[in-house]
Amino acid sequence: MSVMEVRDLWWKYRGGGDYVLRGVNLSVREREFLVIMGRSGAGKTTLLLALNGVIPKRLPGEFRGAISLLGRDTSSLDVAEIANYVATVFEDPEIQFVMSTVEDEIVLGLEALGLSEDEIRERIEWSLELVGLGRKFLERNPYQLSGGEKQRVAIASALARRPRILLLDEPTSDLDPKGKKEVVDAIRRLREELDITVVMVEHDPDLVYEFADRVVVLARGKVVASGDPADVLGDPSLRGEGVFPPQVLEVARALSLNHGVKSEEDLVDRIRSKGFSVKGEEKIERGESGKIVVSCEGVKHVYEGGIEALRSVNFQLRLGELVALVGPNGSGKSTLAKIIAGLLKPTSGRVVIEGLPIDRYDRMTLSSLVGYVYQNPDHQIFNQTVFDEVAFGLRLRGLGEHEIRRRVRSALETFGLLGKEEEHPFFLSKGERRRLALASIYVLNPRVLIVDEPTTGQDMIFNRALFDLLKRVSKENRSVLVITHSLNLAYAYADRMVIIKDGRILAEGRPCEIALRDNVLREANLNAPPVSRVYRRLVPESTSVPITVKDFIERVSVAP
Amino acid sequence: MPTILSELSGIEARNERYMSLHVLTKLFIPFSIALSILFASDLYSALTLVFVALALIVAAGIPLSSIKRYVVVIGSLTSFIAISLFLFARIPGKVLFEACLVRFEAEKGVFEWKLYITDNAVMYASVFVSRIFAMVLSAMLLLGTITDREIVWGLRSLGLPFGASIAVSLFFRGIRLFVSDFLSIREAMTARGVDFARESLIKKFALYSHALIPLLALMITRSYEVSLALETRGITPQSKAKVVYHRYGFSRLDAALMLLFSVLTSLYALGWMI
Repeated sequence: MSVMEVRDLWWKYRGGGDYVLRGVNLSVREREFLVIMGRSGAGKTTLLLALNGVIPKRLPGEFRGAISLLGRDTSSLDVAEIANYVATVFEDPEIQFVMSTVEDEIVLGLEALGLSEDEIRERIEWSLELVGLGRKFLERNPYQLSGGEKQRVAIASALARRPRILLLDEPTSDLDPKGKKEVVDAIRRLREELDITVVMVEHDPDLVYEFADRVVVLARGKVVASGDPADVLGDPSLRGEGVFPPQVLEVARALSLNHGVKSEEDLVDRIRSKGFSVKGEEKIERGESGKIVVSCEGVKHVYEGGIEALRSVNFQLRLGELVALVGPNGSGKSTLAKIIAGLLKPTSGRVVIEGLPIDRYDRMTLSSLVGYVYQNPDHQIFNQTVFDEVAFGLRLRGLGEHEIRRRVRSALETFGLLGKEEEHPFFLSKGERRRLALASIYVLNPRVLIVDEPTTGQDMIFNRALFDLLKRVSKENRSVLVITHSLNLAYAYADRMVIIKDGRILAEGRPCEIALRDNVLREANLNAPPVSRVYRRLVPESTSVPITVKDFIERVSVAP
Repeated sequence: MPTILSELSGIEARNERYMSLHVLTKLFIPFSIALSILFASDLYSALTLVFVALALIVAAGIPLSSIKRYVVVIGSLTSFIAISLFLFARIPGKVLFEACLVRFEAEKGVFEWKLYITDNAVMYASVFVSRIFAMVLSAMLLLGTITDREIVWGLRSLGLPFGASIAVSLFFRGIRLFVSDFLSIREAMTARGVDFARESLIKKFALYSHALIPLLALMITRSYEVSLALETRGITPQSKAKVVYHRYGFSRLDAALMLLFSVLTSLYALGWMI
């Protein structure tokens, strides 16, 4: 039975140019777990806003078509009425919080339902248990929780209203690996314990493959594919729409084992049952090359209030390398990066940049040597045009207008923003704003480029293109330090990975070395890539593991 | 729950007995002191209020060391008041010190600008300073013992509509976000080479005005996102709640303290009228 029907839906934001949704037809069946995929800007979030009634009730624009919810046309229902059946969890959990305790946050949505105090209390406890939190979280301030806990509170407050349909808009995109695991566990629990229909927008193929009953792909506002997750994710013609297969499925297909392979266990069993051989193991080249450009010796940082963010960190960055700094939220990644950029002073220890102690540089010189790109581009952009934004740092340094034009043009070209010079930055898409933030630092030609979480909320195509670009930048006789939660990208692109937890560096090394360090990965709540895990189960005595699907296929052959 | 003062400066009130008072009592006490200050016209009554506020701060468990954060403010105001009274107001009384700073003799007479310290000028200055000090202490008491949660639920239990209570909560949240966004934007400017410590006042002003653009953009985007998120939870400005989930109990101690401070303010008002 269908609980939601979308018929020939067209939508254009007022003043927004073209249609964002162009004749979408979609039927959501009861208790179905439907995943919507597609590139950033394909119309996924807009479709969710149409499903919960915000479009066209609250946003101005042009609406055509019809949506029916449980047999009723939503045009006759108000957003608050629809909310009695449909709950929404947004990408950023913080925008959903209003109150100052977890309990009050959940109460807020229940009071409007006119429930009794006992019923409210019972629902609060039920929903918190369901998402793996519990009574101990009642008095906690939602803003002070970890990313995973915040998103679970948002899911709990949505579920407490006992909706028939739950809409999840990229619920894990903002989270560190630990938070992601917590939210995935919560979704798994609600999938097992509740008879609820779920519509989720998601980029991560591993998540989609595990949960989805059906996958729908949107491209330029149209449904371009719909069907079984294995078929849709494995369809090479959808790569251009940001749909990539999970590594397990990609390997299974490459080895012609695709039928019935749903998990790593399935893949290992199928490979073993077929019989396999492994090529000689690759020798890991040790030793580092490249001049040391940043050196931290015994760096410690204690924030006001006594929070110890870094505990005697020793770290080096060499020219020509791309280093991925990974670890849970609050582990000290950003603190270390800000100390290298001179934005924070170490409480003790020594930081040396290009052979000189950091405190010997003035602000201008240091910012020309070490560029820092913020996680949220909106914190970094403050000029009226794209051109002025990129030119700001150059003007501050007193360069001539001709030279400024030349360098701005080159930076805009590198980051794909040429032609947008006169546009206001806040009218660019989020991906474009992120590239603008990068361009405005890149133009200063820093030897070290620090990029904080550049992939949040972006599709796979953007992320890969960005890492390609960062890799290219690192080869221009510079160093790039990326703080990231995207482990697959870190494994695939980094020359070196540094794992940090509780203010200490737990491990560092080439990605293929890191993938072998089970204890460290477990301690930092990180995972080796799926292909590495599968390989180690096949070849437990291995001393090196493949990191990518290509490596795996080159090393493992299955009997025909 | 952290109080407003603890969120701003990390200072915690430690006395659970005081913290468990009804939110109205905790609002009323500093308000009563602040009102009494307006009626305090002599040094003794002003100093009494300083001691009352200090005693309450100690009773609430707010560390006295936290006052040192305001020493510069109080010191500057004290100097300003004293200088104004001694240099610009020739207050009659017993002269304690007198020195001529400027003297002009002309055909029509003599103009003198004097440093003129009398016992009454000292007294007035002391009253003013004591009043300011008492005001600072009562503000500390208020912010150090109240949480935004208490304000929201306290007002709800007094009949504040559901929608208005959400607005109050959003107001507190907005302040925190605004401050944190401002600091991030300022830091991002520093990362691009701006050295705020070395810039001239005019340049600083221009740079801060730059920061207004992203601040406003973030504020507008957030308000819009929050309002959509609220609506998708079924909450609209017209929403009504049939029950008030949290009710704070009004104890005998609350009643006694409310009465005591009502009497205190009445006495001050009476003294002022007489």
